[in-house]
Amino acid sequence: MVGELAGGYGTVVLMFGFAAVAMAPALVVSRMVSPRKRSNPVKFLPMECGQVPSGAGRTHFMMQYYPYILMFVVFDVMAIFLYAWGGSLLSLPRDATLPMMGFLGIMFGAMAFALYQTGRRQIW
Amino acid sequence: MSVIAPDFKLSEFIKSLFDNAFWGLMLMVLVGLPAIMMVLFVIEMPVIDGELLTPFLAFTWLADPTRTLPIVHAFMATDMFRVMVFPGFGFAALLAAGTIFVERKMLAKLQLRVGPFYCGKVEGILQLMGDGLKLISKEIIIPAKADKPLFWAAPVLFVATAAAFVSLIPVAPGWVVADIDMGLLAVFAIIGFFPIITILSAWSANSKYPFIGGIRALFQMVSFEIPLILSLLGVVMVTGTLSLSGIVESQSSFPWIIFLPIGAIVFFITMLAELERIPFDLPEAESEIVAGWLTEFSGMMYGLVQLGTYLKLYAFAALFTVLFLGGWHGPMIVPPFPHEIITEGIVMGPVSAQIPGLPLFTQEMLNGALWFVLKTVGVIFFILLPRGVFPRIRIDMLLGLGWTKLIGLCFVNVFIALGLLYAGVLGPGGLQ
Repeated sequence: MVGELAGGYGTVVLMFGFAAVAMAPALVVSRMVSPRKRSNPVKFLPMECGQVPSGAGRTHFMMQYYPYILMFVVFDVMAIFLYAWGGSLLSLPRDATLPMMGFLGIMFGAMAFALYQTGRRQIW
Repeated sequence: MSVIAPDFKLSEFIKSLFDNAFWGLMLMVLVGLPAIMMVLFVIEMPVIDGELLTPFLAFTWLADPTRTLPIVHAFMATDMFRVMVFPGFGFAALLAAGTIFVERKMLAKLQLRVGPFYCGKVEGILQLMGDGLKLISKEIIIPAKADKPLFWAAPVLFVATAAAFVSLIPVAPGWVVADIDMGLLAVFAIIGFFPIITILSAWSANSKYPFIGGIRALFQMVSFEIPLILSLLGVVMVTGTLSLSGIVESQSSFPWIIFLPIGAIVFFITMLAELERIPFDLPEAESEIVAGWLTEFSGMMYGLVQLGTYLKLYAFAALFTVLFLGGWHGPMIVPPFPHEIITEGIVMGPVSAQIPGLPLFTQEMLNGALWFVLKTVGVIFFILLPRGVFPRIRIDMLLGLGWTKLIGLCFVNVFIALGLLYAGVLGPGGLQ
């Protein structure tokens, strides 16, 4: 049963594998064909527009849109719940829509609050 | 008399011909024939004249053109053919390559330039091949302190993920690589891999511009995933299925864009953002952060990322066609296969050849594929067009657009779908 359900995804994995196997030789051939003679340390420096790079490459980076990420975590889950409802809507009785509307109302309230929080730049 | 090749010697020329013939024969014997044999062992053999064909017999039949077609038929029914050639990688890569050329040429016309012109004499038609050869002969430079395995794997993973996305698209009735009941959810799952690959490659490069570009890509793809998912909810509600083939079959009378135009527009805008195209090309904003998360890629690695990007573009355009434009449905314009050829064979003067299994593709399949390609090319045109028209927008404008306006419009679309269902316009008992 589980095998049958998973079996349909086998071809997706096959396609993934085929693309990987078919494209990796391009890198290998490129490595064989291309010139690799003159080597100096400057060549392998990270790109910083001609300047000598300063500081670490993987720096601490201020992610100033943190509230959006929090919203994403909440709304991604909500979207999948909505799909569970929307996919079976034709076979549900009509009054089953009312609790869903209540759920949406609560989520709209939460979203309005989150958007209000994203506007308050002093708390970031 | 002008001398073109002063060192030309006829004997050398003949020797080179023999050399080439020898190596060609060698490769065919050592690689080509075993490969054909392996394929023959994998595919399911047809029954001909009441007898099951064996791979060895089929191998001898391949030399006879009148008997090859049943074997080709059997090969076309395999998963291998679908993955490699028709609805899968080959077809998508061909359309992607065409897209790259058309984009360069069209953008040039929009900006009153000429575009690719010299390669291949006719309007630079071989420019893409030239670029490919150039990329493959360029040195791959990896930054000194990069995370090497991740950095090498990122372009291959990007192409492979885009190909996995392509595998879910139904092109013609019955012609789809992976026909899954939960096809749309599988699409969302695969789209979710792209930001991860982007941020991993950006992080592994150990350079600042890719890092900034990767963070931007992450933000953009993550915040546009919600409108993307919600804009398709309306279609799922009115069809009641998550299978992409099922959604196409439900549009035999009219495409959903007629009833759910808001969802289609929102999906198109989020598509532009997910594809990192202008006006949303912040992750590779070339005038601000060099080339964004592609900065450290060189040579063929960059080529692979480009191929993956355009495969993804084709897959998104095809998804729009499947969900909103009716996929393969359209008036029958392909003429039927001439019946005399099946019954009497091909007659040319005194010679007539009976070729079994000749209609290689059915009329429905050819017509469906034709309409699908026409619609997809139209959608690709509208994806390419903004690049010549719009400027790039700021990231706070992008996030504001995604989180306030597009999500609001998504719910308007959902309520329109709900209203259409409960008013009896669509769904059981309504128009179909």
